[in-house]
Amino acid sequence: MQEYIEHGPKKINRDLLAGVLGLPRWWMPIASVALLVILIAMCAYGWELNRGIGVAGINRPVYWGFYLANFVFWIGISHAGIMVSAILRLTQAEWRRPVTRAAEVLTLFSLLAALSNIFFHLGRPWRFLWIPPYDFARGVWPNVRSPFIWDPSAIGTYLIGSSLFVFIALIPDLAVIRDRVSGKTAKRVYGFLSLGWRGTPRQWKLQTVAGILLSALVLPVFVSVHSIVSWDFAVNVSVEGWHSTIFAPYFIIGAIHSGVSAVAMVMALMVWGWKLENYITRDHFDAIGRLLIVVATTWFFFFALEFFYAIYTLEDPEIALRTMQVFEWPYGPMFFVFIVASYFIPVPLWLLKNVRRSPMGMFLTTISVNIGMWLERFLIIIPGLARKTPFTFDWGTYHPSIVEISLVCFTFAFVTLGVLVFSKFFPLVPIFDVKEGEVFRDEIKVGRRTVPASIRE
Amino acid sequence: MTHISQNSASDHGTSNDVTLDLVNRHSHTGNLFRISAVILSILFVLGIAGFVLRITTDGTSNNDKWGYYAAVFAFILTTAQGAPMVAIAPRIVKAHWRRSTSRAAELWALSGFITTLVFVPLIFVLPGLEDGRRSFWFYHEGEVARYIPHYVGALSVVAMALAGLFLLWVSSLPDLAYIRDHQTGWRQKWAKVFARGWQGTSWQWFMVNHRMGILGAFYFMMLVFTHFVIVADFLMPFVPGWIDALFPATHAFNALQGGVATVLVTLFVMRKFGGYSDFIQFDQMWGLGKLLLATSLLWIWFSFSSFMIFWFGKKPNELYTLDLLMTGPYLWLFIAVFILVFIVPFFTLIWNPVRRSTWGPPLIACFVLVGTLFDRIRLYVAAYSVPADADMHGPIPLDLVPAAVYPDVFDILITIGVIAGAVLIYMLGTRLIPVINIWEQRELSIYQVHKRFHRTEVQVLGKPE
Repeated sequence: MQEYIEHGPKKINRDLLAGVLGLPRWWMPIASVALLVILIAMCAYGWELNRGIGVAGINRPVYWGFYLANFVFWIGISHAGIMVSAILRLTQAEWRRPVTRAAEVLTLFSLLAALSNIFFHLGRPWRFLWIPPYDFARGVWPNVRSPFIWDPSAIGTYLIGSSLFVFIALIPDLAVIRDRVSGKTAKRVYGFLSLGWRGTPRQWKLQTVAGILLSALVLPVFVSVHSIVSWDFAVNVSVEGWHSTIFAPYFIIGAIHSGVSAVAMVMALMVWGWKLENYITRDHFDAIGRLLIVVATTWFFFFALEFFYAIYTLEDPEIALRTMQVFEWPYGPMFFVFIVASYFIPVPLWLLKNVRRSPMGMFLTTISVNIGMWLERFLIIIPGLARKTPFTFDWGTYHPSIVEISLVCFTFAFVTLGVLVFSKFFPLVPIFDVKEGEVFRDEIKVGRRTVPASIRE
Repeated sequence: MTHISQNSASDHGTSNDVTLDLVNRHSHTGNLFRISAVILSILFVLGIAGFVLRITTDGTSNNDKWGYYAAVFAFILTTAQGAPMVAIAPRIVKAHWRRSTSRAAELWALSGFITTLVFVPLIFVLPGLEDGRRSFWFYHEGEVARYIPHYVGALSVVAMALAGLFLLWVSSLPDLAYIRDHQTGWRQKWAKVFARGWQGTSWQWFMVNHRMGILGAFYFMMLVFTHFVIVADFLMPFVPGWIDALFPATHAFNALQGGVATVLVTLFVMRKFGGYSDFIQFDQMWGLGKLLLATSLLWIWFSFSSFMIFWFGKKPNELYTLDLLMTGPYLWLFIAVFILVFIVPFFTLIWNPVRRSTWGPPLIACFVLVGTLFDRIRLYVAAYSVPADADMHGPIPLDLVPAAVYPDVFDILITIGVIAGAVLIYMLGTRLIPVINIWEQRELSIYQVHKRFHRTEVQVLGKPE
């Protein structure tokens, strides 16, 4: 990091706790809008519960529609936290410090948003209880060879792991808040949550070890979650375009692409909304921009492999599906937008330093990526089902209903509100990590020039 | 309050001390080196003899006679030619620990000479597209040349070799200038020619850094593309119905794992027998050990992702492929690969006493290299053993999985000879170009400072970019 402003511990506390101890002026209106969207969507969900899944646009042969595309999208976004936080922590990337918390929180809320789609899709959500094999006496034996059974375990483990990850990193900051809040109840709650943190050397050591261990342990879970989600599709031999070995890595790298893009977007929002430009500097945007170039290009490589190998089979149904995906209405234009928005617009722009270092540039390009990546999930799921078998009497009739559209909007509003509420009670930038960064910061003389340096962790 | 730490002499003295020390070490050739070079030369010549006997005895029309040959080609492509990535990737992320390892890794680009030579006969082994096998080139009679996979394969192998050689040369320019200025005799003459008038001006440094970045990225792209072409045209088409979209990426990814393992073994030899123990220390082994652990984990994930889909799908072509490559005649080889490439690295390198040592990671790297050789034999020998007249589009002959092909004397001679040739050319390269990067060591002596931090001493590393 070349840009550096020394703040000192007091200023760091003041700046980073501003959102907790006070409330930005824009917070209430935005939260109200998000809440309103949630309420409207809940009305739509009530309608679906009352009338049944028939109010959604899914029908033969397209049984999986917006809900599942949205589920995969949010699972993808949830990979942001672990990618940015765990991997960058293990590789000791200095620039991670101010962005880890926001990424982890995004993981938590997007996982919950993803899970909500499963309940929407079930139509009768109480049937979710059929999945866990908790009561053998019922005579209901879930097929343990089905990825649908692995999904809840993987996502549940990931949710628990991510929550622990957020909590462990929050403990020192909770103690800082505990010492600064005035209300009796608030003091008691933060005191309880901070687990008696005093900042002793032993506590610091345990917190650091726990952070590293969790980083290492949560990584396999992170990989397994999206692999299993991809296998929901790929183990199926009857749907053209799904039965591909590349799906697991392709889904993971796609998830990282959209997830890290979402983090860059949140970083820009934090700079504008919470005035954190002294903590999340242009260097941070530059670093995440460089990372995104690598991630996006790797994703594109996997995309190309997936697509070309479908044609390599030289099987007529597979080639017909790809023709439909790329050239036929309505999928053709979507395919064009998907590929342009997720790669050909952002990556050339990220090669320009000015774009990489600009919060607005990164905000717009990463929004473009996520529009593209949402469409990618749609294009993986729907066209394949639309041509499921040559015997199906009804091809390509999926039209999302207003209920589905409302519930997709719900997930976006839910994540927005979740992050906003979190920011009211906890700092979005880890205070202890930023302070540690200042302690490790140094400078050395090279000839007549002073260059930034850091103490090796 | 941030304060400025004063940099003084590094672990190896001032930057001029480092230069003189490394230039002197470079000019010294020990007896062990000479003996090793002679033995390797003999093995290489035996390999050439094996090749000549193979081609005169069997010609190029029998695929099954060339399985081991293709396997050893793929082995060198996967390990030695993957090694320069160990210089490229850490340099891009500006990891300081790489400085003692980058040249040792880049020098493996010289093995491009071997892979290019070894590749030539494979062009004749691969039939044209007229037999109707699957190819990305979508052959239709009269539309495109039926030998287009051969042209593209040859071009990509040559382009990758050239990219590696250029990268090696560009990154060696400053070191060649040091040799030119501090040595006499043939070394000075050689260095003078190849240093291209290097004076170390700001512009020259800018251009070298710029070119290293571009060539590094190009080398990586060529590595991925070459593995893709080799898999798509020189491996998969031999097995009817083997359609695995992930496999080109797995094959290319193996090159990263093989490259790390190759460099680890190289560093161990340099440390133990080359007199570089004060440059190659714990940091380098630890850094690469972590990479080896990560790549081993990724190996199992990639492999399992492919296996999983075939195992669940159970389509005839998938069952045939699984039987041929895993559960059938090469079952024991597959088990050996699984143990050597995943079980051993994973269950040893997660253990701190092994990972955080100077002996652990190189030892595990040896297992990985042996496992990678077995893996290439398993894949290529099995694929090349499928009868050439198998119907590429007809029903998959599930009951016709060919029996295991065991190596004959020619195969053994060729395998040993090719590996010996790659090591020999590397060793000869170290006589021309310093095996420890002098300019990166000089940089380290400028950017690295030791200072007191409370009650301990810490290392402070400058980050000028």
